[in-house]
Amino acid sequence: MMAPSGRGETVVRRSLANDPDDLVAEALEGLALAHPTLLRYDAEHGFVARAAPAPDKVALVSGGGSGHEPLHASFVGTGMLDVAVPGAVFASPTALQLYEATRAADAGRGVLHIVKNYTGDVINFTIARELADEDDAVATEVVLVDDDLATDPATDPATDPAETDDGGPGRRGTAAVVAVEKICGAAAEAGADLATVAALGRRVAGRARSMALALTAGTHPGESRPAFELDGDEVELGVGIHGERGRSRVPMASADELTSLLVEPLLASLELARGGGVVAIVNGLGSTYPLELHVAARAVHRLVTAQGLRVDRFLVGSYVTSLDMHGVSVTLLPVDEELLRLWDAPVRTPALTW
Amino acid sequence: MNASDTTAGDELAPGFGRTWTESMIATFAVEAARLGELDRLSGDGDFGRNLTSAYARVEQEVATARPRTYREWLTCVSRGFLGTGGTSGPLFGMFFRELARCAQGDEPTPAELGAGLAAGLAVVQRYGQAEVGHKTMVDALSPAADALAVPGATLRDAAAAAARGAESTSSIIARRGRASYVGEASRGVLDPGAVAVALIVQLAADAAG
Repeated sequence: MMAPSGRGETVVRRSLANDPDDLVAEALEGLALAHPTLLRYDAEHGFVARAAPAPDKVALVSGGGSGHEPLHASFVGTGMLDVAVPGAVFASPTALQLYEATRAADAGRGVLHIVKNYTGDVINFTIARELADEDDAVATEVVLVDDDLATDPATDPATDPAETDDGGPGRRGTAAVVAVEKICGAAAEAGADLATVAALGRRVAGRARSMALALTAGTHPGESRPAFELDGDEVELGVGIHGERGRSRVPMASADELTSLLVEPLLASLELARGGGVVAIVNGLGSTYPLELHVAARAVHRLVTAQGLRVDRFLVGSYVTSLDMHGVSVTLLPVDEELLRLWDAPVRTPALTW
Repeated sequence: MNASDTTAGDELAPGFGRTWTESMIATFAVEAARLGELDRLSGDGDFGRNLTSAYARVEQEVATARPRTYREWLTCVSRGFLGTGGTSGPLFGMFFRELARCAQGDEPTPAELGAGLAAGLAVVQRYGQAEVGHKTMVDALSPAADALAVPGATLRDAAAAAARGAESTSSIIARRGRASYVGEASRGVLDPGAVAVALIVQLAADAAG
């Protein structure tokens, strides 16, 4: 007989792992084995690169803590990244990893770093650029992705303005990084130079905003409890992708009502003119199943079009996750013809292909 | 510089870089646990493990690179830290990179080491955004660099200044770095980063003989 459930006891989470310390390296090895024509895993230096490096183009390097898969390693391939550099779960890759990856990626046209805005990532990527510049004369540029509206000092009443002046960390980088990698990747593939690709990336990062909510937090591999506990009738609003608590807790509600809590603040902050178009990304945070994501996508479409705006392109799936978090994020990116053309350009990676 | 400062312009003894590096590897193998304990009292507790991991990487770098000159030895130390996570990995990595780059000859002169310490302090402050009094490694590094900038000063003077700086962190509440999240709870606890810097400068003084 199975034990009866629903008695209010916390279910102990389990994970499919050998030694948790080996999880990331073993998964990267498996990823490369699953996509031998697309990827190779350099275990010695700790990065994933294209199986066939592209000659004579600006190289795109991104990276960050693991636990957000398929980000970033599964976005390596034609039309997107050249090299992805994963750290341990929720920890920045090291400066040396990023430096070696930058050297390996350079095909003579320079290297663009696409960095989600977290203190550790920013420091280590910056050091890697300093080393690559001084020791190897590799030209580099950086695009900082900071799309998370929940951590916007301008909209967060809990933020002390003095703290922001003191150099607070600012908005976190989340799912908009997929759009930055896609659009910069298309431009680089078409032969654009380093400054042009970087400027495009900054344009995308500057426009895109995201909001997320969670019904259940993720659980670190090797641990049995999630990063935070929620009562059955609570939803965490404004969550990040590292198990951070959100901005507030709201009562559980229908998919349409919860989705509007994400979309309304995005629309308010973007101040789009009627008749404009957006790329919308409805992103699962790890254990949200496709039926739920498409119900949320339907709600996003209704809310955006009700404002007299168009959803020009729609990406629905789990692309930037937080281990097994049950939740969803919505990203809206106002687009013009140039950005749409780059969005539509061919891409061939393990996680994104068209 | 007057005639009695005959040693100030001379290179340190052959083997200084090697002796310093090897003594750091041996010493931190023992001291990492104590420094990790300080970090558990005031920070997030990962400093001891990061130090152990960094010096294990230094040993690997030494085995691979087979360093000969001071610059090559200290570059192994720098890469060991730059290959390590946390905040201490990148900051100590860049600190040792500046120290590695300070020497023109096979071994540094005291003046070059002084310039290296000053450049190391500058890079740590640039990346870590910390000032003296924030209860970080800067509290030991800044007085050590100041001491060595005085004409005729020796590494012993710098080590003494670094030790006093590290001691001073006990009475301050953290403003930056690992201990800044615990506020008042950091009072009465030495900053492990500052203690590590004091130890590193002391080992340099010992290696110089």
